[in-house]
Order: sequence, then C-alpha cells, then structure tokens
Amino acid sequence: MNLWRYFLGRLLGSLIVLVGVSILIFGVARLIPGDPARIAMGPMASAEQVELMRERLRLNEPVVVQYGGFVRDLLRGDLGISLYTKRPVTSDILSTLPATLELVIAAALIMTLIGVPLGVVAARYRNSGVDRAANLAALLGVVTPSFVWAIFLMLVFAFALDIFPIAGRVSRSAELPPTITSLLILDSAIAGMWPTVLDALRHIVLPAFALAMGGLGTAARLTRANMSEVYDRQYIQLARAFAYTEREIACKYALRPAMVPTLTILGLDFAIMLGNAFLVEMVFAWPGMARYGVEVIIRKDLNGIVGTVLVISAFFLIINMIIDIVVAYMNPRIRFQNR
Amino acid sequence: MKKTYGPLIAAATALLLSGYAAVAPLSAQTVLRLDEHAIGEIDPAKATDYADSIIFYNIYDTLVIPAAGGTDILPHLAESWSIDGQTYTFTLRDDVQFHSGNVMDSDDVAFSIERMMALGQGFSSLFAGVIDSVETPDARTVSITLTEPYAPFLGSLVRLAIVDKDAVLDNLAEGDYGDLGDYGQAYLTSTTAGTGAYTISSHNPQELTVMVKNANYFLGVPAEAPDTVELQYAIEPATLRALITRGELDIGDQWMAPEIKAAVSAEEGVSLGQVAGISSFYLKLNNQRPPLDDVHCRRAFALAYDYDAILEQTQVTEEIAFGRRAHGPLPLGVLGSDENIPAGRFDLDAAKAELEQCQYDPGEHEIQLNWVAGNPIQERIQLMMQLNLGELGYDTTITTTPWAMFTELAATAERTPHVSPVNFILTTPDPDSMLFTMYHSDAVGTWASVDWVMNEEVDGMIEAGRTETDPATRAAIYRDLGNKLVEDQVSIFAYELVGVFPIREVVHVPALQDEGRTYAVQGMNFMFREMTMN
Amino acid sequence: MTPAIFNSRAWYRYRSEPLAVFGLGLLTVIVLLAVLAPVLTPYPDHAGRFVDFGNTSQPPSSRHWFGTDLVGRDVLTRVVYGYRISLMIGFVVLGLAAPLGVTLGLVAGYMGGRIEMIIMRVTDVFLAIPALVLAMAVLGVLERTLINGLLALAVLWWPWYTRMVYNQTRALRHEEFVVAAQVVGASHLHILFREILPNLLPSVLTKFTLDLGFVILVASALSFLGLGVEPPTPDLGSMVAEGASYQPDMWWLPVFPGLAILLVVLAFNLVGDGLRSMFGEGR
Repeated sequence: MNLWRYFLGRLLGSLIVLVGVSILIFGVARLIPGDPARIAMGPMASAEQVELMRERLRLNEPVVVQYGGFVRDLLRGDLGISLYTKRPVTSDILSTLPATLELVIAAALIMTLIGVPLGVVAARYRNSGVDRAANLAALLGVVTPSFVWAIFLMLVFAFALDIFPIAGRVSRSAELPPTITSLLILDSAIAGMWPTVLDALRHIVLPAFALAMGGLGTAARLTRANMSEVYDRQYIQLARAFAYTEREIACKYALRPAMVPTLTILGLDFAIMLGNAFLVEMVFAWPGMARYGVEVIIRKDLNGIVGTVLVISAFFLIINMIIDIVVAYMNPRIRFQNR
Repeated sequence: MKKTYGPLIAAATALLLSGYAAVAPLSAQTVLRLDEHAIGEIDPAKATDYADSIIFYNIYDTLVIPAAGGTDILPHLAESWSIDGQTYTFTLRDDVQFHSGNVMDSDDVAFSIERMMALGQGFSSLFAGVIDSVETPDARTVSITLTEPYAPFLGSLVRLAIVDKDAVLDNLAEGDYGDLGDYGQAYLTSTTAGTGAYTISSHNPQELTVMVKNANYFLGVPAEAPDTVELQYAIEPATLRALITRGELDIGDQWMAPEIKAAVSAEEGVSLGQVAGISSFYLKLNNQRPPLDDVHCRRAFALAYDYDAILEQTQVTEEIAFGRRAHGPLPLGVLGSDENIPAGRFDLDAAKAELEQCQYDPGEHEIQLNWVAGNPIQERIQLMMQLNLGELGYDTTITTTPWAMFTELAATAERTPHVSPVNFILTTPDPDSMLFTMYHSDAVGTWASVDWVMNEEVDGMIEAGRTETDPATRAAIYRDLGNKLVEDQVSIFAYELVGVFPIREVVHVPALQDEGRTYAVQGMNFMFREMTMN
Repeated sequence: MTPAIFNSRAWYRYRSEPLAVFGLGLLTVIVLLAVLAPVLTPYPDHAGRFVDFGNTSQPPSSRHWFGTDLVGRDVLTRVVYGYRISLMIGFVVLGLAAPLGVTLGLVAGYMGGRIEMIIMRVTDVFLAIPALVLAMAVLGVLERTLINGLLALAVLWWPWYTRMVYNQTRALRHEEFVVAAQVVGASHLHILFREILPNLLPSVLTKFTLDLGFVILVASALSFLGLGVEPPTPDLGSMVAEGASYQPDMWWLPVFPGLAILLVVLAFNLVGDGLRSMFGEGR
C-alpha cells in the first residue's frame, strides 16, 4: 500500500463521515419546535407570507424529501438563504470564515511555537523545578476555559495596562489591503502595508493567546511525555556517551520521534479551537463565524445552522486528514496498519 | 547553528507594544460612529425595528414629516395636501431626485404603496384595509381614497417610504410576484433606492452599515453634518464602553446597562442625551392565560411590582434617569395622555386582598416570567417580581428569551409567557400606532400585543378613536381608554421609558440634546443631516 | 473508599505525586464547600430568590469577600452554590455518557463485522463536529431547560468513551483469557462485562475523572454563550458572561466565578493524572 492509496482511503472515509454529519445536523435542525418560517418573516408578516416562506423552505414536505433537496442544492454549492441575514448562507460564511481561520492559525502557531519548546525543556530537565513549573503552567492552560482566558487577558493587557486593543480585527482608521487570501495580515504584508500589518498583529495577539492557551498546555505536556519516553531509550544514552551536546540530542534524537503522537493530538486540538473560537470571538468582537453561528442558532435559522456546522466539520476533517497523511509520511508503519 | 533571534524578537515585541499610532485618518472628512442592537431590515416595506428606522429616515423620505417637539404633521415630499372627506390629495414637490438621478413623481408614490401592501410586511398593517384606491391624475398629484374615515392616516404616512420605481423594476430577481419577480426584495435588502439625505455605501447586516452624504438632497445637507456615518451592530457591552471612552464611537445606544452609561458619562468629553415622551415600558400580563385571565390576579401582580425601587434603578446619574412614573399606557405629552390617570403603587397587603377575590389560588399555576436576552434591567425586574410574587405564594420560573424567539412565542396565547417586559416606542406620531398595535384584537400575535387583551369594549374605543377626526374628542376617547386599561390592569404600566444615549462632544445631536427638538417617532431622532460635527 | 486502600501500593504511588495530592485536597475542599454550602456561605438566601437594590455592585470588602452583583447578591455565596450545579452537571452527564459509550465500544470492539462498522462510523460522525458547536446546535434547537442541557452534553460525550474502549477491546479480543472463556462456552455478555470490562476499568475511571473537569468546562462555555440554566440559579459560566459586560469597572463579577471554574477543573485534572500514574499508565 503506498501513500497515494492511503490518501484516497482517508479521503473516502472523510467523505462518508461528512455525509453522516450532514444527515445528523439536518435531522437536528428539523427538530426545531415552533415555526422557523414565522421567525424568519418577522412579527408583522401576514399568514400568506409565512406560508409562502414555508413552501420555499420545503417545510411542508417529508423530511427525506427535504434532505434530498438540500443535498441537490449543496452539490451546486448552495446552502440556501439564511433566514437571519436573508442572504445566501454560502456568502455569509465565506465573508466571516477567513477571520476565524486567521485567528485559529495564529493560535495554532502560538501553540506549537511555545508549547513544543516548553515540553522539550521540561523533558530535558525532568523532575526539576523547571519541569514542575512548566507542568503547572501547561496545566493552567488546559484547565482554564478559553473565555476565562479571554476575559483575564482583556482585563489585564487591554484595560489595566492598555498595551493591546480591546476588540476587533483592525483599527477603523487603518488602510485595508486588496483581498487576495482574505487573511488580513497576509494580504497587508503582500501589499506591503506594514502599518496595517502591525495594527492587525496588535489586534490578534490577545484573542490568539486566549485561544491557544489550552492547546499550548496539551502540546507541552505531550511533547514532554513523549520525549521522556524516548530519552529512556538506549540510543540516547549512546549519544550521550559519544559526547553529543544535549541540544543536539534533544533536536535530533528525541524530538523527531516524539513529534508523531504530538502532531496527532494537535489535529484534535485544532477542532477544539474551532469550537472555542466561538467563545473567544464573542469576547473580543472578532468578526469571524462566531457571532453568525451563535445568531443563527439562537434565531433557529435552519439553513444557517446546517451550513455553519457543516463547514466547521469539513474543516476539521480536512485538517485531520492532512495531519494523518503527514504522520503517515513521517512514520511509514502507520500506513500498513488497518485503521 | 548559533543564531540568536533574541534582539530581533525584542525589537518586534517593542514595536508591537509601542501602541503604534501611525495609522492616520485618511482625510479631513468627518465620520460619525454610532451603534445599535441589531438590524432587521433596510427594505422600507419591511423595516420595523429601531436600527431599521434609523436607516429608514436617512436613506428614504416620506410624503409628510412630524414637527420637531410636537405632533403636527408638516409637508415633506408632498408640498401640500387637501382633504375631501375620505380622499387625500397630495401635491408633490417637483425638485426631488432619487439617488439614481431619476426624478420623483406620482408614479413612484403609487408604486411604493402597491409594493408595501403586496409584500404585506413591516408597517403595511397601518394601511391594511384602509386604502381603497390610489390615483395619479398627473405627475405631481396623488390622491388616495380611504375605505372609511381614518384619523391616524396622515401620521401613518411617516412610515411610507417613497421608492424609486424605475430602479426597482430594473433590479428585479426571481420571485413570487409574476412579472414583478421578487418585487425588488433582494435589491432593497442590500442597498437603497430612495431620495434620502444619505445613501448606503456598504451594508453588512451583522456588523456595519456605512452611509454617505447625498449631494443632491432636495433640502440640501449642511456641510457640518457628518460626511460618513458608520452604524455598527451588536457590540459587546464592555467593548462599547471602551470604544466610547477612547473616542472610537461617538453615540452609544439606549439599551446599554445604566451602570455602563454612568461609567462612560463620567469620562471626559462624554455627556448623556435623552428622548422623553415617546416611549413606555410595560410588564405585559397574558390576559388569556390563567390565572391572569382574572382581573383580581392581574391587580395582585401589579401591586407586587415595586415602582419606586425600579424607578430608583433607572437613575443613571443624579439628574438623568431612563424611567419616569407612568400614568397609564401612553407617555405624557402624547394625544390622550393624562397625568390624572392613576399611577401604579406597590402594596403587598393590598395584593393579598386582591388575591382573595381571584378565582385561582396561587398554588394552582406556575408563573412564567420572561426577559429578553441582552436587556439586563429586565432580568433585575423579573428577579424582583419573582421575590415579591413568592411572598404572595406564587411559584415562578424566569426564562431568558432571545428577541427573535420572543416574537415567535408571541404568536399564540398559549405559548406567550405570563409576564413579558416590553418597551414600546411610538412608531408614528399618532397614539393609535401604540394603542391599536398593543391592545386591539386584530393586532394580537405580535411582540407588542403579548397582553392578549381581546376585549370588545377596548376594541370599540380604539376604533372610535380611529374614525373620530376631531382631536379634542379623540383625546377624550383615549383618556377614557387609558383609565379603562388601568382599571382592568391589562398590563403593569411600569415606567415611561426615556431614551438615554451617551454622546461624545465631537457631535451635536439637536433631537437628543436640545429642548423641544424631539421627533415623536422611533428612529427619527437620528436624522444625520440635523447633526453637526466639530 | 475503604480504609484498606490507604495502605495499598496504589495509594502509595498516588501519594508520591505532590500535585495529585494537592489536587485531591483541592477537590475535597470544593466538594465539601458545595455540600455544606447552606452552612458555610455567609448569605445562603442570596443563592435563590433574593434582591437588595440598596446593596448592588459593591466591590470586594470584609462583608462581601467577592463583592456583590447587580441586584445586590453576595458573589462568594453564589460562586459556592455554583459549584453545586457544576458538580451535578458533571456527574449526571458522564453518568449517562460513560456507560453508553463504554457499552458501545465494548460491543464494537468485540463483535467486529457490520456492528463494528456501524457503531464506529456513527462515532466518527459525532467526533467530526467540534463538541461545543454540536452542543450549541442541539441546545439551540431544544427548549432551554437544565434537562436538555444535560442531554445535549451527554450526546456529545459518549463517542469519546466508545473510541477509547473500542481500541482497548480490540487489543484484548484475542488475548488468552478471552479465548479461554469462549472455549468454555461463556456467553458474550459474560465475556464483555466480566472478562474484558474489568481490565478497562482503570483507564475508564481515569478518563471519567479527567472528563468531570472538562464537562464542567464545556457546560460553563455553553452558559457563557447564553445557553445555560435560568436565573436565579447560580451558574458559574453565566456569572462570567454577565460580569464580562461590566468590565473593567466591576472586575470582580467575572473574575471570581472564572477562577472558580479554573480551580474545579484543575482539581479533577490533578486527581485524574494521579489516578493514571497510580494505575501505572504513563509516568
């Protein structure tokens, strides 16, 4: 079995899961008590208007027929009209998703760039004061809800010390770059608009940290655990005997094998971050999918709920697929295991 | 590989922390930034909410307009009119252009009426069954014949936006209206086809609507008025507070918690503006749902509401409060309001005495107290009601309902909570817009009519007020109606709502900050062309 | 716990982890606080129907260590009572989710074939939706009652147990003691619950303990988004959410309930970690 076939297998598996997700969430959305058409049309609409909307939503048909219609539309890239914004769900999501992605990517970077080194240091100095401190710090990251982090960080760094902005993605007065990737920081950098890049960076620091803290702790603890295990192996002792420096041992011999399980968990953490982004975005008024997601859920916007959940799940599956493939690439044994 | 990133990181960090301020404003254009809770619709045939109305009165115009500081109706797009029995004939101005450059004429007026009635949403209920025919004998004349005498008609016209017929017809999408497609719904949900002093330059219903001055406005827009207006939606309270403090937002909204208003108004350069006499706050009692279908139980509830304690809670600063003592359903100053209508009082002993006469025992029903998410004062009031009703022996649950869901609960009497807090702001200068919408049997099923009064006598009085054209007689009818509604205790008349808005010194808003400049219509006090930036 | 356990090797190993001991102490304090709240809190009536408009929004003081909230209730009292709800949610949710998930995982891992495929595919579907988002969707759709909240959390939690138990069961399926039981003709039920399950109990118990913390965390996140229990029931997540609106002027409103959530999740985590090393997994 080669990597290519493994990839195809994973892709197929993911697609099946995605179909399952669509059935699940479609079913959940159809359980809504009350009349979504009435909610959509607002308090002043006449009965005929509401009936018209009900027809348009296919609400008068059996659920299976509704689902069939939904899938047909979906294959054309149409998630229906949001009952909340009255615009296509696809465009609603496309307009908010990049901000969320930017935030999650920033958080993932922080998580990896701080969490993994922290774990390496802890593993190297196992059971020392450094290790315990790192462990406790990592633990605090894990056990504190991201919205509590968000509020604490905001209170201290935005309100009390006033060194970071309180909310938003960029200052109102900032000049905005042309849209290329939709990731504001990247676009501004491409356009060479450094003041905007800096402004956006200043805005993203607090929310990204609030979002990263949980994963950061996990990454550090995991790296430490896996590296400790490797450190116990004989070849490390051998390397020591050959007078390799500790840094070389850590980087060459211990970190690499330890990365495989760490990467896998990071994939899962990415999913958790997609969910937690909802909380952090609410606190920092980050213009991502969160407000939209919360609003569609509160307003029982059938199409909005289904679209939001489906897109988030698709992202989750894609990320995990990529990580699985990277892991398989790094560690060929996995490819031959029957998953 | 002994690279050192230390200095680089330190430099980058220092730059990040330096409070980088080189992001300068683009030009000397003035920008006004304000916020509102949430947007419903900018289509003028559907717009009803507060934010909707703010936009409505800036991007559209109406045939007539109420006088500032009063309830007189003045000419606007119509330069004059005559009334002959049930026929109103309007002469239109000939110098009005739509944003498209098209000249406004009588065809546009007729089309606007047809469109509103065909869509059957928004404020179309003001005219439903009232308009018999619309005729356009020439380009400057529109005559509207009513099916019966309808005193609030002129006042209701402040809710009829005149839309650009040609622009709409050029932008039809697929829809349910035959040749007319979607009647331009998709088009008017994203942009404007009006005559207003401002046009929409971008509109995102979740975040922000940006409006810019219309250089061709028929009344002209003063140079001091803001060049650009950014109306932002659904900002978190703590963020809002910080934005105002730091000068990044110029006008706050009236729904901010009193503590936060007090905190920002204590900051330098922030004052409080107010709008009084056009709105009231009620605890609506579901008159159809036991035990509140018995007047004695309703009276007991009203006696368990601590008027003074809540009025004290509405105090933002020593001088300014967002609540005033209510005398019946209408805010003082509105036609038919009267200071002699008795205000409510808090008396638990009297409440117990009323309960004795009620056909139900307190133990028989669990009472559902609702509050609308995002209105913290409502939660406090319901916690107080829960405590006091507990004293009377009632078991209560408090439910938190998002606004959208509340409007859906309101559709049936069975699902409407026992006690629902409701703010009502006059939607036209005529008291009928308040009384009919809240208390007439034909208007039940909306958030405003969650009392489910359904009383023939009340209906009769409201109808009499509609068909009577003499203002003095109308006032007398509404006074009697007010007394009856208090006697029947259909709602708890909690307090007159005063809109209190934090305003930064950079802008002056006459309707909120000067005496006698208030418009008696929701949203109209935010006509940007009247504001001055400095 | 029977006293015997305190003399066992396991307890010795647990005791040798200072953090685990600290966690157990913290947990004991929290549980005691929650159970004895009516006796220990300064103003027990503030946890229920109570308003005092004359004493609103007071900063922390000797009378009110954590200050008072917007209707004049003692925040300390409400935080302690909040622990009652939190602990209850944790135990009820996992009490529903863990047995369901464990049973499904056992069956899937042991039976194999089509049953395995169906169960594990459904598990994959649930695991493909971020937990918080799924709970929000379910809760958003249902009426907002405590029972529905518990159900929504249970619905999203069982797959984790299924996956864990499934993997371990598959590993055990061909072990000698299982094969031996099959040979003597033991029923599937006997093999699943008497032979295989006892081997999994340590890891299930460890996960259960760790998860108690995380269920409380997710429940508080849901409350934070406005999908929690109704007032006046004290609920830590809702208290943080409400208090967050009044930053920075009334910092005590979000900070103390936030710290309280942190501490209870921390306690369960430390104890869970301690159990893990006690059962000899990891280091």
